[in-house]
Amino acid sequence: MTLATSTSVLAQSTKATTVKKTFSRTTSVSTVIEADATIIWSLLTNASDFKRWNSTVISIEGDIAPGQKIKLISTLDPKRTFKLKVKTFQPEKRLVWGDAMGNRTYTLMPQADNTVLFSMTEKIGGPLFPLFAKMIPSFDASFDQFAADLKNEAEKIQGVK
Amino acid sequence: MQKTFTAEFEAIRPQLRSYILRITAHPADTDDIVQETWIKSYNNLASFQGNSSLKTWIFAIASNLAKDNLRLKKRWPENVTDICKQAAVANPVFFQEAMQIRMSSPQGQFEIKEHISFCFTCISKSLPIEQQIALLLKEVYGFKVLEISEIMDVSEAMAKYYLHYGRNKMIEIFDHRCALINKEGVCHQCTELNGIFNPKQQAQEALMKIEMARQADKLDKSELFELRTKIVQELDPFESAAAELQLHHLEHNRKVMEAYLIE
Repeated sequence: MTLATSTSVLAQSTKATTVKKTFSRTTSVSTVIEADATIIWSLLTNASDFKRWNSTVISIEGDIAPGQKIKLISTLDPKRTFKLKVKTFQPEKRLVWGDAMGNRTYTLMPQADNTVLFSMTEKIGGPLFPLFAKMIPSFDASFDQFAADLKNEAEKIQGVK
Repeated sequence: MQKTFTAEFEAIRPQLRSYILRITAHPADTDDIVQETWIKSYNNLASFQGNSSLKTWIFAIASNLAKDNLRLKKRWPENVTDICKQAAVANPVFFQEAMQIRMSSPQGQFEIKEHISFCFTCISKSLPIEQQIALLLKEVYGFKVLEISEIMDVSEAMAKYYLHYGRNKMIEIFDHRCALINKEGVCHQCTELNGIFNPKQQAQEALMKIEMARQADKLDKSELFELRTKIVQELDPFESAAAELQLHHLEHNRKVMEAYLIE
């Protein structure tokens, strides 16, 4: 087993984890996807198609493009519309969107065995974070679902003949 | 080489013409684009490396010209057939002309399968252009993913994404709209028009000629989409027995859409 394969196998079983600190909370998940980075990137950046494959998203409006603003409604809090800005947009590598409260980072790392290690991290926090921390639901289940949906859809597309 | 090129071009011309019509929905522009494709490919024959087939190379040139033609035009909405039906009902001249074609033209027959093909063209114009092109190349003209990536000058992965997106979007639209496959579907246009153009024909009898309608309760939506694309594959919109009637209808929809999208 090569080092790359062994890393992939380990990463394949990763579940979402959350690290809580006084002024912040960080949730992360990663998964190995057997698909081309182009496909994964296309899925992550095509707002109008998101709802079809991603069961954690109710809607996304706007263009997921450098510097653009998007409006996201998630199953985590269906009554709330998150107004986010695309802060980093490095095609097929790294996408960051966020607001004053925090950022969500998507990273794609191609592996030696033609798979891609996908990771997603969201860090929220700030000086007032301790006051409302208990009111924010856990992201873990939603992150696991997001990663599973992305993997499922990307691998399905990879298999298109 | 020139001789081979001319023979090959003429052999694929009908397919190329129907492909461009399905992208542009504009018969006159279609003929201009096909002619321009001929000139451009003939003049650049020396640059053809033989890395792909001549047919793939010609389709690539035609696709780029069609994309240029549509660059400044907006995509059509998913409910294009509702909007165009309203406009047709409000325009008595449309039905007078259509009825004249129906009565006098050798290509003026009305058949439901022809309208299904026409409807596919209109609805596919709601997809982003890349997805529409990938979908047509694969599902209607039988190109392989590698060939589609060559025609579109994208990676195979990107071609797969376009195809998957386009196909799923079309399945979803038809699943919600088409009363032939979904009893709750809002669009009955093909059977309504059949009643107008073939008043003596029983709608149910006509529907039973369509395998997709016969199998609607038995197959899943993906299989029904395959039956739909099979209908489209088998019809040449310029040469079929309903060509003049359907082209008249398409021209109407294009004009309605151009006006609608400017508003």
